[in-house]
Order: sequence, then C-alpha cells, then structure tokens
Amino acid sequence: MNIEKVKKRVLSVILDLVISVYFIGCIAYLANEWAGLSVDLLYVVIVGVLVAVVQNITGYSIGCWGYGFSAEGKKPWMHTFWGWFLVVLIITTFVVGWIIVQVNPYKFFMKFQNAGTIVNGIFSPNLGILSECLAALAETIYLALLATVFAIPLAFVLSFFAARNLMPHTLLGNTVYLIIRTIATIFRSIEAVVWAIIFSVWVGIGPYAGMLALMVHSIAALTKLYSEQIENIDHGTVEAIQATGATTLQTWVYAVVPQIVSPFLAFTIYRWDINVRMATIVGFVGGGGIGLLLLQQQQMLRWHNVGIIIWLIAAVVWTMDIISAKVREKLQNS
Amino acid sequence: MKSIIQTTNLHKTYDSGTHALKGINLTIHEGEFIILLGLSGSGKSTLLRCLNRLIEPSSGDVTILDQDVVNANPAQLRRIRRQIGMIFQQFNLIKNLSSLTNVLSGKLGYVSLWHALAFNHQKDDVAEAMANLNRVGLSEFARKKTKNLSGGQQQRVAIARALMQHPKMIFADEPVASLDPATADSVMKYLGVLNHEENMTVVCSLHFLSLARKYGTRVIALKGGKIVFDGSPQEIDEARFQSIYGEDAEEVEIR
Repeated sequence: MNIEKVKKRVLSVILDLVISVYFIGCIAYLANEWAGLSVDLLYVVIVGVLVAVVQNITGYSIGCWGYGFSAEGKKPWMHTFWGWFLVVLIITTFVVGWIIVQVNPYKFFMKFQNAGTIVNGIFSPNLGILSECLAALAETIYLALLATVFAIPLAFVLSFFAARNLMPHTLLGNTVYLIIRTIATIFRSIEAVVWAIIFSVWVGIGPYAGMLALMVHSIAALTKLYSEQIENIDHGTVEAIQATGATTLQTWVYAVVPQIVSPFLAFTIYRWDINVRMATIVGFVGGGGIGLLLLQQQQMLRWHNVGIIIWLIAAVVWTMDIISAKVREKLQNS
Repeated sequence: MKSIIQTTNLHKTYDSGTHALKGINLTIHEGEFIILLGLSGSGKSTLLRCLNRLIEPSSGDVTILDQDVVNANPAQLRRIRRQIGMIFQQFNLIKNLSSLTNVLSGKLGYVSLWHALAFNHQKDDVAEAMANLNRVGLSEFARKKTKNLSGGQQQRVAIARALMQHPKMIFADEPVASLDPATADSVMKYLGVLNHEENMTVVCSLHFLSLARKYGTRVIALKGGKIVFDGSPQEIDEARFQSIYGEDAEEVEIR
C-alpha cells in the first residue's frame, strides 16, 4: 500500500471532519439565535461526523477535492458540490461572525456624540500635567531602549546556534539547533503583554516589569530574525575561509559576521521602534511608564489628561518611525 | 616525481541520494598542472572538496603530503588545509571588507585565535599581504571593498589570499567560469606562473579545452562520478571530447 496515499486520505478525512462539524455547529448556533432551538453539542458532533463520513466516502467533499480524491474530477467549481459547499460555508461563517461580534452600523454612525467628551479632551489637552507625563514617557522610552540593548548580545550569540547552516548535522548540532529554535518560537508566540503580567507579579508593577517583558520577547524575536539572516548568507565565503585552515570560530567571525552586521543593525533598530510602541501597551497591564498613566487617567475619566498623553505617545511613535526608517535606509545603501 | 595527492576508492553519496563520486583512484605528483574536465554534475567540485574535506567523503581514502586526510582530527585537518590554497568560481571573498583584509584572511590557519578575532594583524603579515596584492597587480586596490572590484580583479584577490597560506598546491574550482574570455586567460596565467616558477601543484576544473591545452600538463575527465580519461591534453581529440561532454558538444575556443 502506498504510504503517501494513505496519509493523504487520512488528512482529507480529518479536514472533512473539522469542516463538517464546524458547519453543523454554525447551523445549530443560527437555529438557536433565530428560532430559539437549543441543540445539544453531542448531536452537533454526531451529525457532523456522519455528514463528513458520507461526504468523504462518496468523494463529494472539500477534503477529497483538496487532496485529489474528488469524485467530481477537475470540473470548474460552479459545477461541483464541493464548490457550492465552500460558498455556503464562507457565507455562513460571515453571518455567524456578524452576530457573534454584534456588528451594528447604526450605533457607529448615530451614536457619535457619546465619544464627544474624549474628542473634546484630545483637542483641549491639559498641559498642566505635562511634566508628570514627560517623566512617564521617559520611563517608557528608556525601558524600551534597555529591553532592546539587553536583548541584542543574547540574541546575537543564540542566533549562531539557531542557524541551520552553521550547526553541524550531528546529534549534538541538531539537538542544540532544535532546542533553541523551539524555545524561541514558544517565547515569541507568548505576547509581550502576557510577559508583562507575569513579570508585574514577579518583580512588582513598574517599568522594570515592562522592561523584562519586552526583553524576553525581543530576545526570542531577534534570535529568529538574526538566525534567518545567517541562513541566507553566501555559503561560498564560509567554504573559502574554512579552506584556509581557519577554526570554526574564526570562520564565523570572518565569513559570517561581516555579511550580517548591517542587516542585524537594521533589524535591531526596527525592534527598538516596535518596543517603544509595545512599551505603551505593556504599561497598561503593569509595565509602568506612559501606558500605566494613560490607564489611570482613563479610569478616572479625566479626558483632558488622556488627551495630552495621546498626543505625546503619537509624537514619540512618529519620531521613532522617522528615525528608524532613515537609519535603515542608510544601512541598506552602505 | 613525488606523489603529493592520492585517493583510493573514493566515494561520495549525498544525503539526497546522489552518488556523486563512484570510486575515484587517483595519484597526483608534485608540480603537475591537472585539468579536471567534465559536465556540470560530473563530480568535479565534489572531488575537489572531498580532497580537503570541505565535503566529507562517504568512503575511501585520501592522502595529501603523506597525511591521512579522512581520519585527521580537526587540528590536523586545519594544518592540511592551510597548505592548500583554494579558489572558486564565485571568488568567495568577504564582499564588505577590503582587499587587504581579504588577503590577510588567508593567514587564518597560522594566527592565534585572539589576533584573528580582534582583526589585529601582524606587521609582517600586512607587508606580505601587500606584496601578494602587488604580485597580482592590485596593490592600489588594497583599501577598496572587494564588492567594488571587477570579476577578474576579485579572482586575483582570491589568488593573493591563497598565496598567503604558502600553499604547496592550489585547488581551483572553475576559476574562470564567471569571467569573460580575455580575463579568464589572464587569471589562468597567474596559476601558470605559480606552476612554472614555484613548481606549485595545481588542480583546476575547467570547461575550455583550449585553456586545458595551454596550461595543463595532464587532463583527468570525469563522467557520472567516474574517471573516464586520464592523459595528456594533446590526446583529447574531437571524439574524446564528445565522449566526455556528450554527442552534441562542440569545442569552444578561448585564446
């Protein structure tokens, strides 16, 4: 038996099961919303599985089409069952989404006056708290800077061990590569906001917690970016330096580093740019700085204070954006 | 003549399953100028790289300067490698660095780790690097980044880098395949001079029979990972050439 074919068949069945249970679930949800018909989750699953099995065996299913078992051959989608099923599925998803998200255009257009106090606050900011705001802003900028600076050396070293082309294809090399890559991926997929929550409990609310959160996230993100850059280098140079009788470390320093310095700098500045933006958000959950101040003022409904904070944040982000774009442009041309 | 390179039943099978070398038995003597002929994919590059283990051979033996290459430990391997200058089709220079630094990198097999890491080069080495740049006619380009040099100039920097190693032999992997015909010949001339005047052994893969006749003392032709011809350049007539390169091949002249 052809293993590849069996694998495809299994995958097509899984895909059909997911699609059809989801579809029946959507129908049940709509039945409940519109007709007040409450359907037990168990029935949804049973019916979904039955539908999927029938579809998959007869060959009239999206999974069968996707993996090349379709009973309908290569007919254009308008003449097939799977094509129309897909159309219905997309429409159903949109309708269900509209209801779940409680989309209401009327509110958007007719209730603008509710936001009047905020807009009023933005256009008449309270300059009286400017010095307090600038202090908080300084916290934010510095914590973003330190988070980036501390992340650089760690990410730099780690990236060499997370680069496929530099790690030898031995058990040790593969293990080191895999461990670093996996940890970096996991840490990166945990948002900085979540890290901030963890660290605000760990070291207490304040800029230090925010810095640690951004640092951890930056290390993971930069390790990935750096190592991908290393994987893109010209291998010929590495070969040439090896051929002179250089050691591995010498080869890295001479053949790898000169090729990656300017992209590394560009990525790092970009990261600092991101960190300054994130520092505000991180502040909301205990990371200190301007974000924390914004949260406090917003909760006390002091919209004139919120106004000045929003202007300051916009000014900083805008400035960082320009600086980082200019520097990266310079680096690319050098 | 003293034998300088020997291979015994050398095989290489890549992870992809390609059997690139199928039992190469070869003896190369001191002072020879070997031309490796063969189609792309015939195993020329693999053979050159298996000799100094830039690619690990799958089985078989390699002896260079009476040393066992295949079983050498990393330190021994580096000592073997530094006696072999190597130049490449794509020059493989460090593009963002100056010609001088590139030439100095040829000394890496000799200098201590910390000097190398700090890019702190000995005065003698710098003087020697300048002399080698002068030798290939590029002394005024010493401070220029190599990415701003022409192809022929880059290949000459690569030759100067190889000379820094005080090599006993030079491996050249299609050194002129990226160059125009006139430049190609000028680069080959430098290899010819090293061969003639310093009795340096050269192993060079090429596609041009005219260059092979002009510089080579011996031609080894590969096809499908096996040696199909081993003899003097003059012995290769049209029939031989076509048996190496295939029915439709026609010889291209380079003067």
